[in-house]
Amino acid sequence: MIYESQKVAIKYFVISAIFFGLQVVVGLVLILKYIWPDPLIGIIPFNTARAIHTNLLVVWMLFGFMGGTYYVVPEESKTELYSKKLADLQFWLLLIGGLVGVIGFLFGWTAGRPLLELPVELKWAVVIVVLIFIFNVFMTMVKTKKWTAVQGLLLGGVVMLAVMWLFAIPFFKNLTFDYYYWWWVIHLWVEGAWELIAASLMAFILLKLTGVERMVVEKWLYIELALVLTTGIIGTGHHYYWIGTPGYWLWWGGIFSALETVPIVLMVLDTLRHVKHRKIEITDRLVLYWTVGCALFHFFGAAVMGMVHTLPQVNRWTHGTQVTAAHGHLAFFGAYAMLILTVVYYALPKLKGLTQFNQKRGFWVFWIMVSMMLTIGLAFGVAGVIQSYMQRGLGIEFLTVQEFMRPWFIAVLVGGLGFFIGVVIYIVDVLKIATHKPE
Amino acid sequence: MEKKAARNLFIWGTVICTAIFIWLTIDTHISIPKRTNTDQLTEEVVLGKRVWHKYNCNDCHTILGIGGYYSPDMTKVYSLRGENWLRLFLKNPESPDPRRRKMPNQKLSDEEIKKLIAFFKWVDAIDTNEWPPQPLTVAKVTGVPLEETAQVLKGKNVYNQNRCDLCHRIGGQGGIIGPDLSKVGDKRELQWLSKLIKDPKSINPGTQMPAYSQLSEDEVQALVTFLSGLK
Ligand code: HEM
Ligand code: HEM
Ligand SMILES: [Fe+2]
Repeated sequence: MIYESQKVAIKYFVISAIFFGLQVVVGLVLILKYIWPDPLIGIIPFNTARAIHTNLLVVWMLFGFMGGTYYVVPEESKTELYSKKLADLQFWLLLIGGLVGVIGFLFGWTAGRPLLELPVELKWAVVIVVLIFIFNVFMTMVKTKKWTAVQGLLLGGVVMLAVMWLFAIPFFKNLTFDYYYWWWVIHLWVEGAWELIAASLMAFILLKLTGVERMVVEKWLYIELALVLTTGIIGTGHHYYWIGTPGYWLWWGGIFSALETVPIVLMVLDTLRHVKHRKIEITDRLVLYWTVGCALFHFFGAAVMGMVHTLPQVNRWTHGTQVTAAHGHLAFFGAYAMLILTVVYYALPKLKGLTQFNQKRGFWVFWIMVSMMLTIGLAFGVAGVIQSYMQRGLGIEFLTVQEFMRPWFIAVLVGGLGFFIGVVIYIVDVLKIATHKPE
Repeated sequence: MEKKAARNLFIWGTVICTAIFIWLTIDTHISIPKRTNTDQLTEEVVLGKRVWHKYNCNDCHTILGIGGYYSPDMTKVYSLRGENWLRLFLKNPESPDPRRRKMPNQKLSDEEIKKLIAFFKWVDAIDTNEWPPQPLTVAKVTGVPLEETAQVLKGKNVYNQNRCDLCHRIGGQGGIIGPDLSKVGDKRELQWLSKLIKDPKSINPGTQMPAYSQLSEDEVQALVTFLSGLK
């Protein structure tokens, strides 16, 4: 840390960690409902819990991205933030908005669209928060006019995130159009805007960690993201096979989404190459682990598990089954959860002026989370294959097939309990570092 | 490649692909009205969609394959179950079987149910490129193939419409509170079956099965013909 205003990131990281923990607790509630008859059905039924699980996910990730951005931008622009007050205000608005949203779900205040359940009033509130954020970040960059590729692409990602969000707001009369634009938010976020944000933050960390020349890191960043967007935008078509949209999407979506794996492979190669050709000794082993682990898990969850069901010949059978849940968990964890934890483990100690700190807990978090998320994802995956085969292939009734999947839901529960331990250690670690008092 | 070339690749790649995507979107907008029969997208259907959102049904059920995976897909529910079945079910969806996954009663008004059914009917007709797919093979329901006479089909319909499958299984499908009926035709004869259906307590005073006295004599006859064919 060099600039005082970077410190606003601390509270973003803390809340991000706590919401992450809450999200996982609700995940456990969800999977319990799959396994046994549900004693909580009158208080928090499955649909409400699912809305909370996924919205907490998005909110903790937004906190993580915003904290990361507030850390990176002053250092890239070589100046203090434009306004620390705005960054504070925006933090509180997001926090209150998130809490109101979650509590609202418990009382049935919902727009009733999966993942976009926030009622329309809160959706506009999100627009305001993000506009404040963009304004603050942009004005910081304007102050010194140091347009590095890292921060340019970071800003680009955030702007794209905001633009796509607008499609979450209207009510659509036609269900097909509803889902057509639903994917402009969901898909163009995780396979577009968020990739820009994540890759830029990762490039920054690689720069600092390995000392490789900026020219080289930024060149590869451009190439990665060029490929992400050229494949990912038209790749949205892999969600347009069966929702009432024309048949040519089977071709456009199938081919372009299959190519989406290319930039993800490139990211793994770039990370490994930068580490190999490092110009300085890498002293921070923990961040190195998270960085390389993130690249590999991103590859597994998004590229491998995405590729598995992205071609229409396969998707026809797996669409709307637990195969999707398997991919959703592995991809979100590998690409974004691990990225945010990388950023936090890099930035938070620096923000507290810790040059050395005990990394033992951080390694525990790493190994527990990685192994347990693999368990969760693979167990969902097996359940999904059983479902695709028995329900779609053999035409056996939905609930009958669910009985056959139960052992794998129990495996998810076991993995989930393990993952919960990992998340608790992580929260403790973050709180310990964040409350550290310099001697 | 130089950094500048990489940057140009990024900018132009994105611009060109966005342009193609917008072009495809425009074409999609042109074809969707026909593929989704927007002429039948009445005000009632839209109101049904609002009911669907109001109760957040979509976070348990998928529709067009999107949503929660906790409960069955709704895309083809209209043709699968029929209006009557849907009306009965939506009024009281809770299964009496404590071990079975339960849909909580949403306490929908009759008006809301009517709108929802209109919505499902419209969704059912969307051209989904033949999704969900026809099963590769249909799992065998009983040992001996059913004779598909008019009477048997009517009986099967009575069985489905009255949701006997909440408690009973045929060929592995259905609930587990009541006995398996897959081979009931081997064990029981017509007389016995119709007596049971009209008044189960007259056969076994301790039974949990409700009496189906509301069925007409015709319906009972069809039902027992269907059941006695299960061997
Ligand atoms: C970091 C990147 C990614 C994340 C976080 C992610 C996440 C998700 C999530 C959460 C869903 C489920 C949405 C829903 O229906 O509720 C989904 C669906 C899907 N994803 Fe990804 N994904 C990523 C990358 C990819 C890639 C690169 C591919 C292809 C190579 C892919 C292929 C698919 C497909 C085909 C579906 C639709 C599944 C279905 O038919 O239901 N994803 N993704
Ligand atoms: C204890 C750990 C967890 C458990 C037991 C768990 C369980 C579940 C369950 C049961 C669902 C609902 C699936 C359905 O619709 O039927 C779900 C949805 C989801 N969860 Fe988790 N979860 C956990 C942690 C996480 C984490 C750490 C992430 C992200 C990093 C995550 C991301 C998601 C996403 C994106 C969905 C929506 C999936 C889709 O639409 O396909 N979950 N989770
Ligand atoms: Fe996608």
